[in-house]
Amino acid sequence: MKIVNIRRISQVFFFTLFVGFCIVSTIGQEFWQIRNWPVNWFLYLDPLISLGTALTTHTLYWPLLWSLAVVILTIILGRFFCGWMCPFGALHQFVGFVGNRKKSTAQKIQLNKYRKAQCIKYIILILLLAMAAFPSIGTTLLTGILDPIPLVTRSFNIAILSIFDRSVDVTSVTPRFYEGAWLMGVVFIAAILLNLVIPRFYCRFLCPLGALFGILSRFSIWRIGKVQDKCRECKLCEKACEGGCHPSGNIRISECVLCFNCREDCKDELMAYQTSQSKAGEITNPDISRRGFVLSFAGGVFATPAIRLGNLLGANWKHQQIRPPGALAEDEFLNRCLKCGQCMRICPTNIIQPDGIQNGIEKLWTPVLNYRIGSSGCQYNCVACGQICPTSAIRPITLDEKHGTGEFSSSGPIKMGTAFFDRNRCLPWSMDRPCIVCEENCPLSPKAIYTIETFNTIRDGQLVVNESDYHIIYIEQTLEPGKFASGDYYASYNGKRIKITANAANSIELSEEIEIEQAPAAGSIIEIQVRLQRPYVDIEKCIGCGICEHECPVSGLKAIRVSAVGETRSSDRAFVLGG
Amino acid sequence: MMNLTAKYNRRVESVMSVLILLVLTLIGVGILIRQNDVDISRFGINLTTDGPASQTTAQSAQQSILETVIPDDFRTLSETETYFPDNLYEKINGKAPLYIDCGFVELSAQRIVSTKDENLWVEIGLFDMGNQINAFSILSVQRRPDAANVPLFNPSFGYKTSNALYFIQGKNYIEMVGSAESEYLSAAMISTAQNLLTKLASDQNADIPQLSLFVPENLIEGSIKIYLKNAFGFEGFSDVFSCRYQINNVTITAFLSQYPDPQTAQAKAESYYNFLIEYGGNNKTTTNEVLKNNRVKVVDFYDTTEIVFATGNYIGGIHEAANQQAAEDLAARLLEKLSQQPVNQ
Amino acid sequence: MKNQSNINPGRREFLVRAGKAGVSIAAAGLGAGLLYDKDGPRGGVDTDSLVTLPDFSTAPVDGQTISIVQGSDRKTTVNKAIELLGGIDRFVGKGQTIVIKPNIAFASSPMLGATTNPELIGEVVRVCYNAGAKKVIVMDNPINDPASCFLLSGIGKAATQARAEVIMPKEHLFRNTTLAGGTLIKDWPMLFEPLIKADKLIGISPVKDHARAAASMSMKNWYGLLGGRRNIFHQDINKIIAELAMLVKPTLVILDGTEVMMTNGPTGGSTSDLKRTNTMIASTNCVAADSFGCTLLGLTPSKLPYLSIAQEAGVGTTDYESLKPKIATIE
Repeated sequence: MKIVNIRRISQVFFFTLFVGFCIVSTIGQEFWQIRNWPVNWFLYLDPLISLGTALTTHTLYWPLLWSLAVVILTIILGRFFCGWMCPFGALHQFVGFVGNRKKSTAQKIQLNKYRKAQCIKYIILILLLAMAAFPSIGTTLLTGILDPIPLVTRSFNIAILSIFDRSVDVTSVTPRFYEGAWLMGVVFIAAILLNLVIPRFYCRFLCPLGALFGILSRFSIWRIGKVQDKCRECKLCEKACEGGCHPSGNIRISECVLCFNCREDCKDELMAYQTSQSKAGEITNPDISRRGFVLSFAGGVFATPAIRLGNLLGANWKHQQIRPPGALAEDEFLNRCLKCGQCMRICPTNIIQPDGIQNGIEKLWTPVLNYRIGSSGCQYNCVACGQICPTSAIRPITLDEKHGTGEFSSSGPIKMGTAFFDRNRCLPWSMDRPCIVCEENCPLSPKAIYTIETFNTIRDGQLVVNESDYHIIYIEQTLEPGKFASGDYYASYNGKRIKITANAANSIELSEEIEIEQAPAAGSIIEIQVRLQRPYVDIEKCIGCGICEHECPVSGLKAIRVSAVGETRSSDRAFVLGG
Repeated sequence: MMNLTAKYNRRVESVMSVLILLVLTLIGVGILIRQNDVDISRFGINLTTDGPASQTTAQSAQQSILETVIPDDFRTLSETETYFPDNLYEKINGKAPLYIDCGFVELSAQRIVSTKDENLWVEIGLFDMGNQINAFSILSVQRRPDAANVPLFNPSFGYKTSNALYFIQGKNYIEMVGSAESEYLSAAMISTAQNLLTKLASDQNADIPQLSLFVPENLIEGSIKIYLKNAFGFEGFSDVFSCRYQINNVTITAFLSQYPDPQTAQAKAESYYNFLIEYGGNNKTTTNEVLKNNRVKVVDFYDTTEIVFATGNYIGGIHEAANQQAAEDLAARLLEKLSQQPVNQ
Repeated sequence: MKNQSNINPGRREFLVRAGKAGVSIAAAGLGAGLLYDKDGPRGGVDTDSLVTLPDFSTAPVDGQTISIVQGSDRKTTVNKAIELLGGIDRFVGKGQTIVIKPNIAFASSPMLGATTNPELIGEVVRVCYNAGAKKVIVMDNPINDPASCFLLSGIGKAATQARAEVIMPKEHLFRNTTLAGGTLIKDWPMLFEPLIKADKLIGISPVKDHARAAASMSMKNWYGLLGGRRNIFHQDINKIIAELAMLVKPTLVILDGTEVMMTNGPTGGSTSDLKRTNTMIASTNCVAADSFGCTLLGLTPSKLPYLSIAQEAGVGTTDYESLKPKIATIE
């Protein structure tokens, strides 16, 4: 059995597994829903995530221990992950293969030659790690932008599968929407299409995880190499070399992804996976000079404070950025968030959205809540996002902690923000229209929205009485029949206010349940008043779940909107004492 | 030399290939085993309720009872939910006012599903109605037309339908609704009911004396109802028991109600009579001697016969009868029986 | 035949490499083991990093708790006030580091009386050095821009002229603290670092009317040690002032009642807001100082709820008469 075939089987296996994990990441108990599928397994295996979070948080979050196995195996075997397991790499390899298969052998050999630019991925790696390493000047975890596992997870979860959700209905019951997903799709497609230029473009030039594996494989026990120095120099070994590692000569161990294509293509069977060094020589160090290292390191050190010059973590924080319940305080959050999109995928109401670039690279693709999108606000009895977050940037809270019940009674509920009425747009506040959809939908008990009753005389509401028969009043003006029959309108005269039960074109009927001692005199004025329940937010109770915002009928710009002020995850964003 | 090494390497390669395939298979199997645990409650969302789940996490004694009475071949599908008057509508929606008007205090609800067949499940609701009369009321006013007696219960206190079981025990009203018309589910419900009755033994079904005050002949078993308020649309007509009779081919409804003293009973009878007249009824003369001698009022109400009388502490009568003769006969018998009851002054 | 001379270097290379691989694996394992976190991060208060403010208070001496000196010249009256309490040696020892916390809240000219008088600061600094202090620090966390406040109030210049060290409220100097038994000061940033190495803390503040709290004197002066978004505490102003008095235990407070701000406090804005009352108060207890100080504004202690809250909490007594105040008049 040929090892290349096993490698291909392995790539198909892990790629299918990966896509399967993406598809099942929806709430439910069916086989094709999340059940207990280990959907984060690829993320847990990724040592760049463990290393990055170890630098920013000085801890290794327990599920990330899987990556230690990958690290150990890489130290022993080399970059097997790149060639055998990485779903992004498998995709690149496939596209590169399909795109370039019509080319001649000579062209293919040329495509796979080693290029100095392959050192860029090491520069990227050092830059990213330096941005994460120094707490005194600030740390941020940006590895997720280019780390292939979060990248491909995010691209599939948000950009690719959502397209299918619309038409196929397999992956989600309702269509999924993600603002800004187009950018993720563009980045993803661009990376894929670059394989038509050079195979495994991303892997060779950009991938920081590959760079990390390249460094780790320096002392590998087994490595690809020639069994003898002299050969035909036909370079067929490089016809399909995936790593661009120059196996025909001084093989670059840090670039070799263990595809074993060279072993198959060499007609003299001179390529082996052996414990000794390649007889034609090998280079184990990544191709960066000391100067290159220092520059990228320094760049990373300066980059973190530079991107924070906007004080978005301080007083200039953006109140529209509402984070999911259980999210850590913002500086801690940015130390852990991988921008992997798992929380956005699992959220049953589709309100977790990727943030855009407008607030800087640190916030790009981090989860923020948009209560207008999706099916509800943040459901009161759901803690799915924290359960799925692979690095605990959103903590796996229990319902008790979210609600502030049980053992969390003394700390109170988790607030994501506070709702504020825009009275200019609110129907009972400015339009004389009864509406309390927000109050009805508030899931709390007692509700965080309360109403105060008020009566307003409506426009053209002053009517002249012709005659009155106690419960029926005939008026001079002409009314739209039935307009005041909804139970919200009252006739006011002589200091009394009586509900209107019906009206015709020239008369109004008053409620029989009230005894009327004195009918309005002919020629007197009665006023039609509308009973309004004007809503208020109780800021001590409001948890910022946004269900009110979602249900508000004034669509487009809602009359009640949640703002992140008052969120409990940050003590400096409280605005009410004791809140 | 080279060929020997190459061949050796090929053999090693084959062995390693097989081993790696084995590892991949193990990974696949491991993942399949891992996903089999279907409990997704850690995500918070409780899939078995419609709409937002109850917010209360209060532990009530009834909660643990429900979990201990289910048959062996069933398991619970979810946590027991508890509902109170302010959020009962979340569970039973528009029916909530009916229960609340009948004195609803607390509901413990749970679904159990058969381990033999996932499609067979039962929804159990244990309603604390505050007292036995309330429980009896909510049971009786919702009695289904296809109700059948169950040996386990007094016919007035419980019945079954093709897919459900309803009964009261003291202040508790219990509903069990199955997902299908199935003997198996029926038996499971009866068995659960038996267990429940044992657990609720402290709430015995006391005798409701009014139930035995109705004349027994031709009485349709299990048809006794109590209207707690506004019986027959008459405001203030409370705690009225009604009962149906099958006389020849006619169904007649009789009613009675008990009052603290004869004066109140008399006054109520008169005001009910006035109510009937006010709303379009016409006084009718009767040929029945018993009724005539006791100043029983007979009213023709839109072509049905209404009869009302007071005797001792009781009001009695007939409601909406199609046949005046049969109504008068029954009224007379009821009057005789009620007039034999002891009188409180 | 294998070439014998090639085995040994090859094997050596392999063994060296294998050794390095082993060491790398061990290092990775060790790293993972040391950092392994099975609980994940907790939300909310990180109680491990909380600090406690040191206790700078002076041992009480009967009859030397509060002194009140009448006179028009601040330099003279303050020296007399300190003398009446036992002299500067009671408060400042040789080689000690003294932190002076004035009121530098606003970028306001000294003649408007919204900030501590710079002459007074200069004099107290000088007196401390004369008593043998090694270093005197002047610090505050102003409301307006710090640089402007130190400059326009004249305090920056007065301090440096007297050779004191001016410390600006830089972010890294703040630490979170919680008041034991408090409800408001919980995990709240305090201007803390300079206090770690300090031996004594002296507060110097003017007597002012305050729109929200009724008066701003020596207890309210500690508000300037709070960091973060501290104006949230204005929702419960009396409680926070009382909690500040519970939190901060100073060596000495000097309450300057030479010209008090009678109206439009705490910013004032016009000299017509001021009234000359020519009184200087010194005390080892803030509650006593404020209780007498408010009388200069025409108030009584009962009109200031924060005084009774502080008294209930055991910080001091509002009955300053019972403390046998030392009184003097300077012509």
